[in-house]
Amino acid sequence: ELISCLPSPPPPGRGGTPRPGAAMKRTREEVDATLQIAKLNAAELLPAVHCLGFGPGASGAAAGDFCLLELEPTLCQQLEDGHSLVIRGDKDEQAVLCSKDKTYDLKIADTSNMLLFIPGCKTPDQLKKEDSHCNIIHTEIFGFSNNYWELRRCRPKLKKLKKLLMENPYEGPDSQKEKDSNSSKYTTEDLLDQIQASEEEIMTQLQVLNACEIGGYWRILEFDYEMKLLNHVTQLVDSESWSFSKVPLNTCLQELGPLEPEEMIEHCLKCYGKKYVDEGEVYFELDADKICRATAQMLLQNAVKFNLAEFQEVWQQSVPEGMITSLDQLKGLALVDRHSRPEIISLLKVDDLPEDNQERFNSLFSLREKWTEEDIAPYIQDLCGEKQTIGALLTKYSRSSMQNGVKVYNSRRPIS
Amino acid sequence: MVPFACSARAGGLAEWVLMELQGEIEARYSTGLAGNLLGDLHYTTEGTPVLIVGHHILYGKIIHLEKPFAVLVKHTPGNQDCDELGHEIGTRYLVTALIKDKILFKTRPKPIITNVPKKV
Repeated sequence: ELISCLPSPPPPGRGGTPRPGAAMKRTREEVDATLQIAKLNAAELLPAVHCLGFGPGASGAAAGDFCLLELEPTLCQQLEDGHSLVIRGDKDEQAVLCSKDKTYDLKIADTSNMLLFIPGCKTPDQLKKEDSHCNIIHTEIFGFSNNYWELRRCRPKLKKLKKLLMENPYEGPDSQKEKDSNSSKYTTEDLLDQIQASEEEIMTQLQVLNACEIGGYWRILEFDYEMKLLNHVTQLVDSESWSFSKVPLNTCLQELGPLEPEEMIEHCLKCYGKKYVDEGEVYFELDADKICRATAQMLLQNAVKFNLAEFQEVWQQSVPEGMITSLDQLKGLALVDRHSRPEIISLLKVDDLPEDNQERFNSLFSLREKWTEEDIAPYIQDLCGEKQTIGALLTKYSRSSMQNGVKVYNSRRPIS
Repeated sequence: MVPFACSARAGGLAEWVLMELQGEIEARYSTGLAGNLLGDLHYTTEGTPVLIVGHHILYGKIIHLEKPFAVLVKHTPGNQDCDELGHEIGTRYLVTALIKDKILFKTRPKPIITNVPKKV
């Protein structure tokens, strides 16, 4: 077949004709000619063609001006709803991406293929729905890449939050520290800038830490001060013979207001109880477990270890009358050694332990060589991600053996 | 640390398409790819994408992505850029488009053989 009477075909091998904006100038006749050369039957094709060209600013993602981010459908929906995502990380931290309530690790995924980003390109379904008579669509490729960012849901990095707030714990309004305007204090915005976690995860953790917003800054209460507030409340409950499940807010504020700021009394009630309204009055239902736990911490922090039996006796006597103590309340706070004679108990707080999985296990195994699952579980529970279980963590980071008929776990490698 | 915010730029999110090709595309001339043609993208009546690039035909398929992509474009602000609170905005990534579909060309390109006119 003679082809010389048709317009000349595109140059061989590569897609490059050095005419600026060439995609914009390509005509239907040229397209049809190419179809003929290619021996494609136009009748088997949809009428519209996309003439693809590289836009004048088209470049590779390597230049850093743009990138591709893989999303989960829920994140995609959040973006479409107008929410933002934030990438957080210091120079010495691994960057994470945060939505309003979740945190993700960012990893680059390379592909051996070339990915082209094409605005205004329609799929066959869209073309069929459109019913337009346009049969040539000049399309500019925005850019290209051979990698993209992958997201993997991760635990928010919250240890730093407590560390920042402990720089300057709140000891009460009369403390000398409060007069010093240079002391370290953080607003919500400050925390969002510094913590690699989503806003919702940070807010939840602030509640767990019993933190309080005072004068616009988030403060953690100095433990003794927190106990002082709690004691005021429990002593008042006792002297008024109230039920623990019905502590009236207004009376508390009235009676205790002369001793401590009202906001702090109310904060204490919120930390150690649940608020509810009955016949227009606000009451708190006190949480016995939390109060017993705090009392135990107060007793345990004064020495390295205690005789277990003696501790249990003193502990029961120290909690408000009517509350029952139980070692179950102390998971993640204290460790019992049933092999020593006498049996002993000591303070071990999970939030004092390292955040990184391997470091956490190293520190636990250096404290105690062999652990039962029951004893170690409260100290690794927070490491469990979305899909990891305690069992999976133990398999990965420890070795098991039998001791006196009980399964115990120890380190995989010697701990120095 | 200055967090990078990724938010949708005002005016809403466009929807783009991803095209995935095997290997690399090279510009024929040293002026680079910008401004140059790539080729013609057709669809058969059954919806199969057909791409003619140079002397090759590629047949592909449309894949609806289980995990959509966001295209983030870096935006370095000028001196006057501030947010609602009057804080200066640092460098941020604007989510310029979402990609929910890709056109994947996985098969080996078929060369277009053009017949040489016979000499009489």
